[in-house]
Amino acid sequence: MTEAVQNVAQPQIEVENLNLWYGEKQALKDISMHIPKNSVTALIGPSGCGKSTFIRCLNRMNDLIKNCRIEGKISIEGKDIYGTGVDVVDLRKQVGMVFQKPNPFPMSIYDNIAYGPRIHGVTKKGLDGVVEGALRSAAIWDETSDRLKSPALSLSGGQQQRLCIARTLAVKPEIILFDEPCSALDPISTSRIEELIMNLKKDYTIVIVTHNMQQAARISDHTGFFLMGELIEFGQTRQIFQNPKEQSTEDYITGRFG
Amino acid sequence: MGLNARTSEKIAFTLLRLATLMVAGFVLVILAYIVYNGYSVISIEFLTEMPRRMMTQGGIYPAIVGTLTLILGSMAVALPMGIMAAIYLNEYAGDTRITWIIEMAINNLAGTPSVVFGLFGLAMFVKYFGFGPSILSASLTLSLLILPVIIRSSQEALITVPKEYRESSLALGISKWQTIRHVVLPAAIPGIITGSILSIGRVAGETAPILLTGAAYYLPRLPDSIYSQFMALPYHLFVLATAGTNIAKTRPLQYGTALVLLMIVLGLNLIAVLIRRHYRQKLKI
Repeated sequence: MTEAVQNVAQPQIEVENLNLWYGEKQALKDISMHIPKNSVTALIGPSGCGKSTFIRCLNRMNDLIKNCRIEGKISIEGKDIYGTGVDVVDLRKQVGMVFQKPNPFPMSIYDNIAYGPRIHGVTKKGLDGVVEGALRSAAIWDETSDRLKSPALSLSGGQQQRLCIARTLAVKPEIILFDEPCSALDPISTSRIEELIMNLKKDYTIVIVTHNMQQAARISDHTGFFLMGELIEFGQTRQIFQNPKEQSTEDYITGRFG
Repeated sequence: MGLNARTSEKIAFTLLRLATLMVAGFVLVILAYIVYNGYSVISIEFLTEMPRRMMTQGGIYPAIVGTLTLILGSMAVALPMGIMAAIYLNEYAGDTRITWIIEMAINNLAGTPSVVFGLFGLAMFVKYFGFGPSILSASLTLSLLILPVIIRSSQEALITVPKEYRESSLALGISKWQTIRHVVLPAAIPGIITGSILSIGRVAGETAPILLTGAAYYLPRLPDSIYSQFMALPYHLFVLATAGTNIAKTRPLQYGTALVLLMIVLGLNLIAVLIRRHYRQKLKI
């Protein structure tokens, strides 16, 4: 099935020779990668290898960091996202992001979801539908439908993270970036999020950074292995895990370091 | 032979506790002293009537109204201006030389003696802008006085808003300004209110700036516009205690005035604390 996806789909995200510096320090070195549509792409590697920095290039969150300099090209659906005339705000509507720590706003469950659509101009009438749709898609509707007005912070950590996913879905992105979404969660919450991510693949393109290699193996179609700011190997998940081409990839996934 | 660790620990602890108790003690003594000496003159008449017979009789109504007006007026100017400046400095201004100069200016403004503000207000608002000695001139002068306090506390409050709130809002395709308005500012409000609490006390208590910009020695009627002169509690107190027609005879009135001033400040602080708590609870679970 993964082969079929790769053959049919145009790459949705194309990264060509991406280099990134924080001041003098180079954090990403000459990264090139094609990420196909409606698939899950996992990025693995030891801490500090640049995988989070990399996905933060895809929605330009690195713009917020001082002294961060980027060279190379990233295109989404053929459009250079660092080109002139690109509206970062529009880009981030198209490319959503879920963070490592569940971070709902200090508002009600309903307002957390409605926050984005409301500012993007969804009318009051339409909001209820958008909120319900997003909560359903994020598989948290059943747990929250009877207490939409309660504070989001009263939910458990795993529920909060699914709420954050719902909040992202409510803006109707095409691509969703997950930056280690389960690292703060217990195993049961983690498996629920994994299940959710696999379901979301139908409608979204997903890029997930993870520390957990079993997770990458379970849920992704493609895997990229990062080491010291370089993309060592990128390919189909099965191939990376069963038959890695690079020695360092094999060393990492067999647990020899990291 | 030096002290052993336990003895020095004990001494340090005792000294620290003593210092704390002394601070609390002073506050209580001042409060008790003023209440004890002033409560006998407090009456409906004292609070709601004009002073009579060169302030030796009657009430302090116009001074109460004057002080409340000054608080309202200076807050109306300084609060929005201070919050906007804090937002600009924290969220937008780069790390440039101009920003540094602005920050330095705010620090110096905070350390300027209040009588200098008074002189500035006299030259700027009373004379140059031609507002005359008035509520307007005095309110503007006082608002300059509290501006650095409000800017600083608003900046502190903005800094403590978690970075995650900003990031997750921006990641939803929300612009920076919308993020500040809908997420950052609401989370910063309790801290901003704390700053304004401190300012209320200063506005209510300052004498030198208003003396030079519009406070009247004796004016037994209410101001009829923002261009009128006015009476205010701290200046009234000063007048009764130093330049009144009969200082000894008005002693109870002096304590009564001090008590009313104190109660107004404490009352407004209490209201501000309640507002702050309301917002804090809204932000929490």
